[in-house]
Amino acid sequence: MLSAAAFQAVFARLVIDPDFRDDVRARGAAALAAELTDLERERLLFVAADSGMDVTRTLHKGFRLSKLLGQLPLTCAALGKEALAREVAEFWRQNPPVSFYYLAEAVAFCDFLLARLEEGMEFPTPYLAEVVAWERAGLELQRPRAAGVAPPLQIVEFTHDPLPLLIALGRGEPVEPIERPCLMIGGYEGGKVEWRLAEAD
Amino acid sequence: MHEERAAIPKLGVGLAYQPALRPFLESRGDAFDYLEVVPDILWTDLGVGSTPRYLDDSGGIDFLRRVAAGRPIVPHGIGLSIGTAHRFNRGQLDQIEKWHGWFQFPWHSDHLAWNLAEHGVDELNAGVTLPLPRDRETLEALAPRVAEVRGRLPVPFLLENNVYFFTMPGEQMSDAEFLNTLCTETGCGLLLDLHNVYCNARNHRTDPYRLLSELDLTNVAEIHVAGGMEHEGWYLDAHSGPLPEPVWELLRHCLPRCPNLGGVTFEMLGSWYVEMGADRLAEELDALREAWHRDQPAPAPWAEVGC
Repeated sequence: MLSAAAFQAVFARLVIDPDFRDDVRARGAAALAAELTDLERERLLFVAADSGMDVTRTLHKGFRLSKLLGQLPLTCAALGKEALAREVAEFWRQNPPVSFYYLAEAVAFCDFLLARLEEGMEFPTPYLAEVVAWERAGLELQRPRAAGVAPPLQIVEFTHDPLPLLIALGRGEPVEPIERPCLMIGGYEGGKVEWRLAEAD
Repeated sequence: MHEERAAIPKLGVGLAYQPALRPFLESRGDAFDYLEVVPDILWTDLGVGSTPRYLDDSGGIDFLRRVAAGRPIVPHGIGLSIGTAHRFNRGQLDQIEKWHGWFQFPWHSDHLAWNLAEHGVDELNAGVTLPLPRDRETLEALAPRVAEVRGRLPVPFLLENNVYFFTMPGEQMSDAEFLNTLCTETGCGLLLDLHNVYCNARNHRTDPYRLLSELDLTNVAEIHVAGGMEHEGWYLDAHSGPLPEPVWELLRHCLPRCPNLGGVTFEMLGSWYVEMGADRLAEELDALREAWHRDQPAPAPWAEVGC
């Protein structure tokens, strides 16, 4: 790797990875790549310690978080502030930012949450999996595709009545989940996402 | 570039496109002279190696064609990452070239910054425009890339001065010296973002008028203006509403001093449109037009200068 590329790789890690930044601040040049020039090393140590890095990181996080808040409002509401902060931090730790696009990031976060649920991670709400799956399916229907390629039909299993659940979450109201096994079936017709409810067999 | 700069048409006052502004664009089409668009939001980049790599938002592009109604569409990219060291994002250039075929824009621009970096076998996208060291080495890395961009498209290419929250030790040039040398040696023009100038001056306690007095303003082909906000002791280029008075003063200072200026673009995040409202946005654009008309020639109808 050329030193300018190595310099930018470290600089970007300082922005996205607070643990790495702490390590650089604690260990100094020993935490930096060997192929850097002395001047690059001096600059990286300086910016790691500078408060300008704090605001740069705040902007980076704000942009990244806005993708989830904008694309997954009901998932974020179902998680609640505390669990959202914890899960986002873990998602970011495992998934460095690779895409500019909102949809890709939001789908990746849904997959992360669904995997956590599958592993048995406990969340404060019993309906989180349904909400995540439903918002993920909605994004899948809106995913940009080549002309003439229709998105596959999306089927989401609910164990709680979806309409009062989704409406309450959307309004920020307390949720009183009502048990009702059913399916939400989504398609993309006439340029918009359409959902219909079906009873589970 | 000097011939190119002289050929930059006087467009007047532009509005930066945001999807949330669609109702305004449809109902207040007479409030702006051109529409600036971040083209990256009207395509999806599926990534290097994907076929096709880019999917265009045909509905969004049709909307632009309709609301522009014969006025210029000016692309202002965020994806080129021209300062990235490990690769040059030529796919972005392919897209901009395609857009030129569609819109015949009079110039195009991107940011003097980088946001893509190597990360193991992958690539990171920091999502923010990160500053480049103001060094001879940086200029030498940028020169062949600017030359490639200029070779690919037959219209001027502008780079926008960046916001930065730290200066790095050992930088060889001042802001003005770096920007002047960049334009002279590479032939690119300058998109002078006055709100960025204001942010940097406020955050680093420097004199923005000193920067402007040292800048070669004949390089300026476009000006950006916007509003911002304070956050934890820093002033941010948040594109959050009307211009603060110091940015108006910077604009009034620059307008008579930029002979090759093609347009002044107002940037605002769509989320702020709800708070600002259509009437207030129209007033801001009117005020910008008044300022333009005091010091710049009346814009020529695009049909006469465009293709």
